[in-house]
Amino acid sequence: MSESIWIHYSRPRPHWYRLTAEQQAEKKAGWALVEKASIDAGATRVGSYHVRGQHDFQTVDIWQFASPEAAFDHWARLTSAGYNELFAFSNNVGIALQEGHS
Amino acid sequence: MTLLTGETDVFSSAGTSKRCVVMFLAKREGGVSDIFGAKEQAAIAAVLDELKKEGWLLSIRSMFDPAANNQAAALDTGFTHSVDVAGVFEAPTISAAIEGTVRLERAGWARLFATEWLIGPREFAPVKGTGGEIERPWGFLALWEWNDAWSAATPEQRAEYDLECDIAFKGDLALDINIAGRHRLDWAHGWHHLGAWEAVSPEAIDQAITGHEDVADFIFTTSRHFMGRVRPLHELIAA
Repeated sequence: MSESIWIHYSRPRPHWYRLTAEQQAEKKAGWALVEKASIDAGATRVGSYHVRGQHDFQTVDIWQFASPEAAFDHWARLTSAGYNELFAFSNNVGIALQEGHS
Repeated sequence: MTLLTGETDVFSSAGTSKRCVVMFLAKREGGVSDIFGAKEQAAIAAVLDELKKEGWLLSIRSMFDPAANNQAAALDTGFTHSVDVAGVFEAPTISAAIEGTVRLERAGWARLFATEWLIGPREFAPVKGTGGEIERPWGFLALWEWNDAWSAATPEQRAEYDLECDIAFKGDLALDINIAGRHRLDWAHGWHHLGAWEAVSPEAIDQAITGHEDVADFIFTTSRHFMGRVRPLHELIAA
């Protein structure tokens, strides 16, 4: 298994804006627990960046995982927590090349 | 296996393996006869042989009949789609799936095709249509995402929708279509799912999709469909 990069583009779906600030905070707290579990298991959150000006999506989040399986597990837990129902998304995964360019 | 949406009458996750789909949408680069030839064809064939020995399935057919795995196959789609070749393999694991795409690309695939690889684990088991073991020379690949309307729907609305879609899926099976279950792509792509079919004719596929329109399948999804005659992969891997 290879060290992997996971790239997550997202934007709020329309009904995200229909939630109250308290409801939004509650959802975010649940997803933060999912992210903490991934970090505790060895993942690295490289960062979250704003890309709305050049993309259909609003933000891009970049993570490093020990394997693509760990990236899948992270996403599966986020979707189980309902994240995908409130944010539209597109994801990419890539494995590290040992020798650089092919 | 975590399911993105639940099981239905037609689709079950029981007994599914941990296999991972490797779908490809490949567009010929064109004008590559000086950089792609018999050597690259042989190298790709050798990688496909290795993958088979490592437990890969190399066609939709082999998801229904493991004995058919001696022949890698894909859909010839250039007659009506923006990609020339579309196909579906299954790898033993997610890691094996991604590493396999790199091996194929490096063997020479990347010289011949610009390819989008879509990768993700199996959710539902294959379901055979009526008609028994007849020839099904046409393939159909459906990609879809759950849209904002589905995302905003209540669990009851989604359950009702799933029941209606099952009517259409039963209609597909009654048209002798074999459905290779469902795979989950959303963790590594914008599309959320793949459904791969074998069918007797384009007419059967068109009639089936009309059935999906009749039950308002597309009220909750955005889809893209690829259809093509199934051909041996080695015939399609040529400059």
